[in-house]
Amino acid sequence: MSLEADIADQEIAPEARREPEGRGAIVRHLIINFFNLIILLPLAWVFIMSVKSLPDAMRGDFWPRKFDFTHYAFVFQRIETLPVNLFNSIYVTAATVLITCVCAVLAGYALVHIRPRGVGAVVVIFLVSLYFPVRVVSLISIYETQHFLGLINNTSGLILPYVTLQLVISILIMRSMFQLVPHEIIESARIDGAGHFKTLWEIGLPMVRNGLVVIFIVNFVTAWGEYLLGVTLIDDQAKRTMPVVLAAAQGGQGQWSWPNLAAVYVIVVTPGIIAFGFAQKLFFKGLLEGALKG
Amino acid sequence: MSETSLILEPEREASGFGQQLAGFWRGAGGWLFLAPALIFFFGYQVWPIVRVLWLSFTDYQFLTNKPANWVGFDNYIQAASDPLMWASLGRAAWFTILFLPGTIILPLLMAILIDRVTNPWLATIYRMILLVPAVIPSTLIFVLWKWMYNYQSGPINHLLVDTFGLFTIQNAPQWLGGTKLTLPSIAVMEVWWGLGYHTIFFLAGLAAIPKDLPDAARIDGASEWQVFWHITRPQLAPIMMILVVLRFGTAMAVIDEYLIFGGFNRASPTYTWTIFMYDQAFKSGLWRQGYAAAIGMIGAVAMMCVMVVLIRIFRPRG
Repeated sequence: MSLEADIADQEIAPEARREPEGRGAIVRHLIINFFNLIILLPLAWVFIMSVKSLPDAMRGDFWPRKFDFTHYAFVFQRIETLPVNLFNSIYVTAATVLITCVCAVLAGYALVHIRPRGVGAVVVIFLVSLYFPVRVVSLISIYETQHFLGLINNTSGLILPYVTLQLVISILIMRSMFQLVPHEIIESARIDGAGHFKTLWEIGLPMVRNGLVVIFIVNFVTAWGEYLLGVTLIDDQAKRTMPVVLAAAQGGQGQWSWPNLAAVYVIVVTPGIIAFGFAQKLFFKGLLEGALKG
Repeated sequence: MSETSLILEPEREASGFGQQLAGFWRGAGGWLFLAPALIFFFGYQVWPIVRVLWLSFTDYQFLTNKPANWVGFDNYIQAASDPLMWASLGRAAWFTILFLPGTIILPLLMAILIDRVTNPWLATIYRMILLVPAVIPSTLIFVLWKWMYNYQSGPINHLLVDTFGLFTIQNAPQWLGGTKLTLPSIAVMEVWWGLGYHTIFFLAGLAAIPKDLPDAARIDGASEWQVFWHITRPQLAPIMMILVVLRFGTAMAVIDEYLIFGGFNRASPTYTWTIFMYDQAFKSGLWRQGYAAAIGMIGAVAMMCVMVVLIRIFRPRG
């Protein structure tokens, strides 16, 4: 109890010591909100576009004279491949996030609390790979590999290269998270007879929860929006993921009229924002604890 | 510590073999935990780079069935004597110059402003708004701005033409049409995208500065600029270096944006070395992947060289 109060005190104390807000504060808030507005306006534009009536969409005014909420139902009924593309994206993203998080947690734990011989070299290679444009240059050879494995035009095949997109970052984040877990706690669990796996699952994992939220979101955002591999490795419209479909869609008339396109956009973009809204507290904690140090 | 180790010492001596065995299992267990990550990492990051390096010394063309022949530095010589190679590297460099200062300085300013917001409720709201673009996936950002910049029906041109009347439909700016405006337009989009994420980065750095340090300096009569230059800036130097180097890397190797906005017009400013490589490898002719690999390696090595210089310049001193 008193410990919590102490922490709360520490958090409030530095704020309280600062000078009271005056005219400078007003200017400060104005500048901040100016940039907030610039950040939010394009998003507001696309949200409103998705509920505009067609004539209003053509007119181009920000606020419509007449709202029309039917675009959401329309795109699902009339754009044949859309449900399939959406499912592809959900499936590939879910698999990617799951596999990457498992890999990163296991590796992060091993790097800090098992430390097998020669592991330092692995960390060095990880760090070097961050500074090399791997994603672009490796494309030629990844195409060849996928061709060899028969995974060209195969939606599931995307998962393999997708896992590596943020793998190194995720491992380094988990590594710095596990560095915050004292060795003694892990050791005492080990002495009590728990294997590494049990120790990780029961003791380690709850302590790195915030970091897990960070790598979950980072990998979700990356896989959900991946374009380069998706457009290069898949030719068939029905096997494509949402980002590739959206990037190719030209706004205009018919099924891809602007409000329809905007509705599809909102459908694709909302899950991430909602997930972030729920997890933001843990996400910020995770960022501060370990992610930004990595 | 020393006491316990003294007590344990004889026991360790006695079971040397057992210790070795335990050490082996300890090592094996560790590698077992690392195995899933390493399989992916080596399979889809390390091996492709090694393979591309090898391909760059061959005449490999994907769409022919002929095996790859070793041709030495031929691909590199051909690429180096192609003006397009240097033009495409120059375009990538120009984009980087347009993008990098904005994506460092604006978030730094925002972080300094937000760090002084005392109302905890407002501070949280500001941070959340800032991070919204960071949780929108890359392609969705590009698609959104492709619409924003749309020549005819985009809201930016709607504002300029219909609302303010600064332009007519005939001379409205072609933001993404492969004009001089295209790279600056993409740079603005990228700064917008990274603004929140980088601000959070700097905020984390600012939170690590003990607050009595700037407060004491202010009481001693230091101006806000002096506080920034002598206290804040040195404290943020490590974060600054990481951001500059990493963002330089992403800016030089941009490819998705150029594929979506530009296509494969060789005269377009979006035809950078990454697109040049992609064009050769997957679009034109017989997919000359040996040549494309050489283009990729030249681009990668060129930007790594500049990175080393940047690290030296921005390395925190003292």
